Amino acid sequence: MLFYSYFKTLVGKEVTVELKNDLAITGILHSVDQYLNIKLTNTHVQNETKYPHMMSVRNCFIRGSVVRYVLLPAGSVDVELLHDATRREARAAP
Amino acid sequence: MGEEEATVKEPLDLIKLSLDERIYVKCRGERELRGRLHAYDQHLNMILGEVEETVTTVEIDDETYEEIIKTQKRSIPFLFVRGDSVILISPPLRS
Amino acid sequence: MDYPPPGTALVEELDQKLLIQLRDGRKIIGVLRSFDQFANMVLEHAVERIIVGSLYSDIPLGIYLLRGENLVLMGQVDPGREVPPGLQQVSEAEIRTAIKAEKEEARLKGTMRARMDFLDLE
Repeated sequence: MLFYSYFKTLVGKEVTVELKNDLAITGILHSVDQYLNIKLTNTHVQNETKYPHMMSVRNCFIRGSVVRYVLLPAGSVDVELLHDATRREARAAP
Repeated sequence: MGEEEATVKEPLDLIKLSLDERIYVKCRGERELRGRLHAYDQHLNMILGEVEETVTTVEIDDETYEEIIKTQKRSIPFLFVRGDSVILISPPLRS
Repeated sequence: MDYPPPGTALVEELDQKLLIQLRDGRKIIGVLRSFDQFANMVLEHAVERIIVGSLYSDIPLGIYLLRGENLVLMGQVDPGREVPPGLQQVSEAEIRTAIKAEKEEARLKGTMRARMDFLDLE
Protein backbone atom coordinates (compact mmCIF):
# COMPACT_ATOMS: atom_id res chain seq x y z
CA MET A 1 0.00 0.00 0.00
CA LEU A 2 3.10 2.22 -0.08
CA PHE A 3 2.43 3.63 -3.54
CA TYR A 4 -1.29 3.97 -2.94
CA SER A 5 -0.52 6.08 0.13
CA TYR A 6 2.12 8.04 -1.74
CA PHE A 7 -0.15 8.82 -4.72
CA LYS A 8 -2.82 10.04 -2.32
CA THR A 9 -0.37 12.75 -1.18
CA LEU A 10 -0.12 13.90 -4.83
CA VAL A 11 -3.86 14.56 -5.23
CA GLY A 12 -4.34 18.05 -6.67
CA LYS A 13 -0.90 18.12 -8.32
CA GLU A 14 -0.15 17.87 -12.02
CA VAL A 15 1.28 14.54 -13.21
CA THR A 16 1.87 12.90 -16.58
CA VAL A 17 0.73 9.30 -16.94
CA GLU A 18 2.42 7.36 -19.72
CA LEU A 19 0.51 4.27 -20.84
CA LYS A 20 1.84 1.00 -22.24
CA ASN A 21 0.37 1.99 -25.64
CA ASP A 22 2.62 5.13 -25.57
CA LEU A 23 -0.27 7.56 -25.01
CA ALA A 24 0.88 10.21 -22.50
CA ILE A 25 -1.81 12.12 -20.60
CA THR A 26 -1.09 15.14 -18.41
CA GLY A 27 -3.63 16.27 -15.86
CA ILE A 28 -4.41 17.08 -12.26
CA LEU A 29 -4.43 13.94 -10.10
CA HIS A 30 -8.03 13.69 -8.87
CA SER A 31 -7.90 10.33 -7.11
CA VAL A 32 -6.23 6.94 -6.92
CA ASP A 33 -7.42 3.60 -5.55
CA GLN A 34 -5.69 0.51 -4.18
CA TYR A 35 -5.24 -0.98 -7.68
CA LEU A 36 -3.46 2.26 -8.62
CA ASN A 37 -6.28 3.11 -11.01
CA ILE A 38 -5.88 6.83 -11.61
CA LYS A 39 -8.36 9.63 -12.27
CA LEU A 40 -7.13 12.83 -13.88
CA THR A 41 -8.96 16.11 -14.46
CA ASN A 42 -8.13 18.93 -16.92
CA THR A 43 -6.38 16.40 -19.10
CA HIS A 44 -4.42 17.09 -22.23
CA VAL A 45 -2.61 14.66 -24.45
CA GLN A 46 0.80 15.06 -26.00
CA ASN A 47 0.54 14.79 -29.79
CA GLU A 48 -3.23 15.39 -29.82
CA THR A 49 -3.42 15.18 -33.64
CA LYS A 50 -2.41 11.51 -33.38
CA TYR A 51 -5.16 10.82 -30.83
CA PRO A 52 -8.09 12.97 -32.09
CA HIS A 53 -10.67 11.08 -30.00
CA MET A 54 -9.02 12.42 -26.83
CA MET A 55 -10.17 15.95 -27.78
CA SER A 56 -13.70 15.00 -26.65
CA VAL A 57 -12.70 14.31 -23.05
CA ARG A 58 -11.43 16.65 -20.34
CA ASN A 59 -11.05 14.11 -17.53
CA CYS A 60 -10.32 10.43 -17.45
CA PHE A 61 -10.11 7.20 -15.48
CA ILE A 62 -7.04 5.11 -16.32
CA ARG A 63 -6.92 1.44 -15.40
CA GLY A 64 -3.84 0.83 -13.25
CA SER A 65 -2.73 -2.18 -15.26
CA VAL A 66 -2.17 -0.15 -18.45
CA VAL A 67 0.17 2.38 -16.82
CA ARG A 68 3.87 2.24 -17.72
CA TYR A 69 5.14 5.37 -15.93
CA VAL A 70 3.90 8.28 -13.91
CA LEU A 71 6.12 11.37 -14.25
CA LEU A 72 6.05 13.07 -10.87
CA PRO A 73 6.28 16.78 -10.02
CA ALA A 74 9.83 17.33 -8.73
CA GLY A 75 8.82 19.42 -5.71
CA SER A 76 6.53 16.77 -4.28
CA VAL A 77 9.00 13.96 -3.71
CA ASP A 78 10.35 13.75 -0.14
CA VAL A 79 13.04 11.13 -0.66
CA GLU A 80 13.77 10.61 3.07
CA LEU A 81 10.10 9.89 3.71
CA LEU A 82 10.04 7.43 0.80
CA HIS A 83 13.16 5.62 2.05
CA ASP A 84 11.66 5.21 5.53
CA ALA A 85 8.32 4.05 4.16
CA THR A 86 10.05 1.55 1.84
CA ARG A 87 12.12 0.07 4.70
CA ARG A 88 9.01 -0.21 6.84
CA GLU A 89 7.10 -1.92 4.00
CA ALA A 90 10.01 -4.32 3.31
CA ARG A 91 10.09 -5.36 6.97
CA ALA A 92 6.34 -5.84 7.11
CA ALA A 93 6.19 -7.97 3.95
CA PRO A 94 6.96 -11.66 4.47
CA MET B 1 14.24 -4.32 15.90
CA GLY B 2 18.03 -4.12 15.48
CA GLU B 3 20.11 -3.27 12.44
CA GLU B 4 18.70 -4.63 9.22
CA GLU B 5 20.62 -7.66 8.11
CA ALA B 6 22.90 -6.97 5.16
CA THR B 7 22.61 -10.47 3.74
CA VAL B 8 20.72 -11.54 0.65
CA LYS B 9 18.31 -14.36 1.49
CA GLU B 10 15.72 -13.75 -1.17
CA PRO B 11 15.68 -11.79 -4.45
CA LEU B 12 14.06 -8.67 -3.03
CA ASP B 13 16.83 -8.37 -0.38
CA LEU B 14 19.16 -7.36 -3.21
CA ILE B 15 16.93 -4.39 -3.98
CA LYS B 16 16.68 -3.47 -0.30
CA LEU B 17 20.45 -2.95 -0.30
CA SER B 18 20.14 -0.69 -3.36
CA LEU B 19 17.87 1.88 -1.73
CA ASP B 20 19.23 5.41 -2.40
CA GLU B 21 21.75 3.92 -4.88
CA ARG B 22 21.79 4.31 -8.63
CA ILE B 23 20.40 1.20 -10.33
CA TYR B 24 19.83 -0.07 -13.85
CA VAL B 25 16.33 -1.25 -14.80
CA LYS B 26 15.49 -3.05 -18.02
CA CYS B 27 11.84 -2.72 -19.01
CA ARG B 28 9.51 -4.15 -21.65
CA GLY B 29 9.42 -2.38 -25.01
CA GLU B 30 13.22 -2.01 -25.35
CA ARG B 31 13.36 0.55 -22.58
CA GLU B 32 16.19 0.98 -20.12
CA LEU B 33 16.29 3.22 -17.05
CA ARG B 34 19.19 4.42 -14.99
CA GLY B 35 18.32 6.27 -11.80
CA ARG B 36 18.44 6.51 -8.03
CA LEU B 37 16.08 4.11 -6.24
CA HIS B 38 13.90 5.96 -3.73
CA ALA B 39 11.06 3.49 -3.18
CA TYR B 40 9.89 0.02 -4.22
CA ASP B 41 7.34 -2.60 -3.19
CA GLN B 42 6.88 -6.37 -3.61
CA HIS B 43 5.47 -5.90 -7.14
CA LEU B 44 8.66 -4.05 -8.14
CA ASN B 45 6.74 -0.83 -8.52
CA MET B 46 9.42 1.82 -8.03
CA ILE B 47 10.12 5.51 -7.71
CA LEU B 48 13.39 6.55 -9.30
CA GLY B 49 15.10 9.95 -9.21
CA GLU B 50 17.45 11.63 -11.71
CA VAL B 51 16.34 9.14 -14.32
CA GLU B 52 17.77 8.69 -17.78
CA GLU B 53 15.52 6.63 -20.04
CA THR B 54 16.91 5.01 -23.19
CA VAL B 55 14.45 3.71 -25.80
CA THR B 56 15.81 1.57 -28.63
CA THR B 57 13.79 1.38 -31.85
CA VAL B 58 14.42 -0.36 -35.16
CA GLU B 59 13.21 1.52 -38.23
CA ILE B 60 13.22 0.48 -41.87
CA ASP B 61 14.66 3.16 -44.17
CA ASP B 62 12.04 4.17 -46.79
CA GLU B 63 14.54 4.21 -49.67
CA THR B 64 17.22 1.66 -48.92
CA TYR B 65 15.05 -0.64 -46.74
CA GLU B 66 17.93 -1.02 -44.35
CA GLU B 67 17.32 -1.52 -40.64
CA ILE B 68 18.25 1.57 -38.68
CA ILE B 69 18.68 1.14 -34.95
CA LYS B 70 17.89 4.37 -33.10
CA THR B 71 18.26 5.16 -29.44
CA GLN B 72 16.35 8.03 -27.87
CA LYS B 73 17.29 9.35 -24.47
CA ARG B 74 15.36 11.59 -22.12
CA SER B 75 15.86 12.81 -18.57
CA ILE B 76 13.08 12.69 -15.98
CA PRO B 77 13.55 14.19 -12.47
CA PHE B 78 11.21 11.75 -10.67
CA LEU B 79 9.51 8.73 -12.16
CA PHE B 80 7.09 6.09 -10.89
CA VAL B 81 7.57 2.81 -12.77
CA ARG B 82 4.87 0.14 -12.67
CA GLY B 83 6.36 -3.23 -11.70
CA ASP B 84 4.72 -5.28 -14.45
CA SER B 85 6.89 -3.49 -17.05
CA VAL B 86 10.11 -4.46 -15.29
CA ILE B 87 12.28 -7.25 -16.73
CA LEU B 88 15.38 -6.95 -14.54
CA ILE B 89 17.04 -4.74 -11.96
CA SER B 90 20.77 -4.51 -11.52
CA PRO B 91 22.35 -2.87 -8.47
CA PRO B 92 25.39 -0.58 -8.74
CA LEU B 93 28.77 -2.26 -9.04
CA ARG B 94 30.47 -2.51 -5.66
CA SER B 95 34.14 -3.13 -5.00
CA MET C 1 -5.66 3.34 7.54
CA ASP C 2 -9.10 3.39 5.96
CA TYR C 3 -9.50 2.57 2.29
CA PRO C 4 -12.53 3.29 0.17
CA PRO C 5 -14.49 0.09 -0.55
CA PRO C 6 -12.89 -1.74 -3.49
CA GLY C 7 -14.17 -0.80 -6.91
CA THR C 8 -16.04 2.36 -6.01
CA ALA C 9 -13.84 4.49 -8.27
CA LEU C 10 -16.47 4.74 -11.02
CA VAL C 11 -19.44 5.87 -8.91
CA GLU C 12 -19.09 9.45 -10.16
CA GLU C 13 -19.26 8.20 -13.76
CA LEU C 14 -22.58 6.35 -13.37
CA ASP C 15 -25.24 7.51 -15.86
CA GLN C 16 -22.68 9.72 -17.61
CA LYS C 17 -21.79 9.59 -21.29
CA LEU C 18 -18.28 8.14 -21.49
CA LEU C 19 -15.66 7.57 -24.14
CA ILE C 20 -13.79 4.32 -23.57
CA GLN C 21 -10.57 3.30 -25.24
CA LEU C 22 -9.98 -0.45 -25.46
CA ARG C 23 -6.66 -2.29 -25.59
CA ASP C 24 -7.08 -3.01 -29.31
CA GLY C 25 -7.38 0.75 -29.95
CA ARG C 26 -11.15 0.82 -30.50
CA LYS C 27 -13.17 3.67 -29.00
CA ILE C 28 -16.64 3.08 -27.61
CA ILE C 29 -19.00 5.83 -26.47
CA GLY C 30 -21.94 5.00 -24.23
CA VAL C 31 -23.78 5.73 -20.99
CA LEU C 32 -22.38 3.85 -17.97
CA ARG C 33 -25.19 1.97 -16.23
CA SER C 34 -23.26 -0.52 -14.07
CA PHE C 35 -19.70 -1.54 -13.10
CA ASP C 36 -17.79 -3.71 -10.61
CA GLN C 37 -14.36 -3.89 -8.95
CA PHE C 38 -12.72 -5.21 -12.15
CA ALA C 39 -14.06 -2.23 -14.11
CA ASN C 40 -16.38 -4.57 -16.02
CA MET C 41 -19.05 -2.22 -17.34
CA VAL C 42 -22.51 -2.13 -18.86
CA LEU C 43 -22.96 0.62 -21.46
CA GLU C 44 -26.27 1.74 -22.88
CA HIS C 45 -26.68 3.46 -26.26
CA ALA C 46 -23.16 2.31 -27.13
CA VAL C 47 -21.55 3.38 -30.40
CA GLU C 48 -18.13 2.65 -31.84
CA ARG C 49 -16.41 5.84 -32.98
CA ILE C 50 -14.15 5.30 -35.97
CA ILE C 51 -11.87 8.15 -37.01
CA VAL C 52 -10.02 8.06 -40.33
CA GLY C 53 -8.08 11.22 -41.18
CA SER C 54 -10.59 14.07 -40.84
CA LEU C 55 -13.68 11.84 -41.10
CA TYR C 56 -15.50 10.07 -38.31
CA SER C 57 -18.52 7.84 -37.90
CA ASP C 58 -20.42 6.60 -34.84
CA ILE C 59 -21.67 3.05 -35.44
CA PRO C 60 -24.59 1.99 -33.19
CA LEU C 61 -23.94 -1.11 -31.07
CA GLY C 62 -26.87 -1.18 -28.61
CA ILE C 63 -26.17 -2.43 -25.07
CA TYR C 64 -22.63 -3.62 -24.38
CA LEU C 65 -21.04 -5.41 -21.45
CA LEU C 66 -17.30 -4.72 -21.53
CA ARG C 67 -14.78 -6.90 -19.74
CA GLY C 68 -12.67 -4.64 -17.53
CA GLU C 69 -9.28 -5.98 -18.54
CA ASN C 70 -9.81 -4.66 -22.07
CA LEU C 71 -10.24 -1.09 -20.86
CA VAL C 72 -7.32 1.29 -21.25
CA LEU C 73 -8.96 4.54 -20.22
CA MET C 74 -12.28 6.26 -20.12
CA GLY C 75 -13.30 9.86 -19.92
CA GLN C 76 -16.54 11.78 -19.53
CA VAL C 77 -17.49 13.18 -22.91
CA ASP C 78 -17.29 16.97 -22.73
CA PRO C 79 -20.77 18.10 -23.86
CA GLY C 80 -19.25 21.12 -25.64
CA ARG C 81 -16.75 19.00 -27.54
CA GLU C 82 -18.65 15.80 -28.17
CA VAL C 83 -17.64 16.04 -31.81
CA PRO C 84 -13.86 16.33 -32.07
CA PRO C 85 -13.13 19.79 -33.51
CA GLY C 86 -12.26 19.78 -37.21
CA LEU C 87 -13.76 16.35 -37.89
CA GLN C 88 -16.62 15.70 -40.29
CA GLN C 89 -19.29 13.07 -39.65
CA VAL C 90 -19.95 10.54 -42.42
CA SER C 91 -22.08 7.41 -42.76
CA GLU C 92 -20.92 3.91 -41.80
CA ALA C 93 -20.57 3.01 -45.50
CA GLU C 94 -18.36 6.03 -46.13
CA ILE C 95 -16.10 5.34 -43.15
CA ARG C 96 -15.72 1.70 -44.29
CA THR C 97 -14.63 3.00 -47.70
CA ALA C 98 -12.14 5.34 -46.02
CA ILE C 99 -10.70 2.45 -43.96
CA LYS C 100 -10.34 0.39 -47.13
CA ALA C 101 -8.57 3.24 -48.92
CA GLU C 102 -6.20 3.66 -45.99
CA LYS C 103 -5.44 -0.08 -45.94
CA GLU C 104 -4.91 -0.09 -49.70
CA GLU C 105 -2.41 2.75 -49.38
CA ALA C 106 -0.49 0.81 -46.71
CA ARG C 107 -0.64 -2.34 -48.86
CA LEU C 108 0.73 -0.50 -51.92
CA LYS C 109 3.61 0.80 -49.84
CA GLY C 110 4.21 -2.80 -48.75
CA THR C 111 4.17 -4.22 -52.29
CA MET C 112 6.54 -1.49 -53.46
CA ARG C 113 8.90 -2.62 -50.75
CA ALA C 114 8.45 -6.28 -51.75
CA ARG C 115 9.26 -5.39 -55.38
CA MET C 116 12.38 -3.58 -54.31
CA ASP C 117 13.46 -6.65 -52.33
CA PHE C 118 12.89 -8.74 -55.45
CA LEU C 119 15.10 -6.39 -57.49
CA ASP C 120 17.79 -6.64 -54.85
CA LEU C 121 17.84 -10.42 -55.30
CA GLU C 122 18.56 -10.03 -59.01
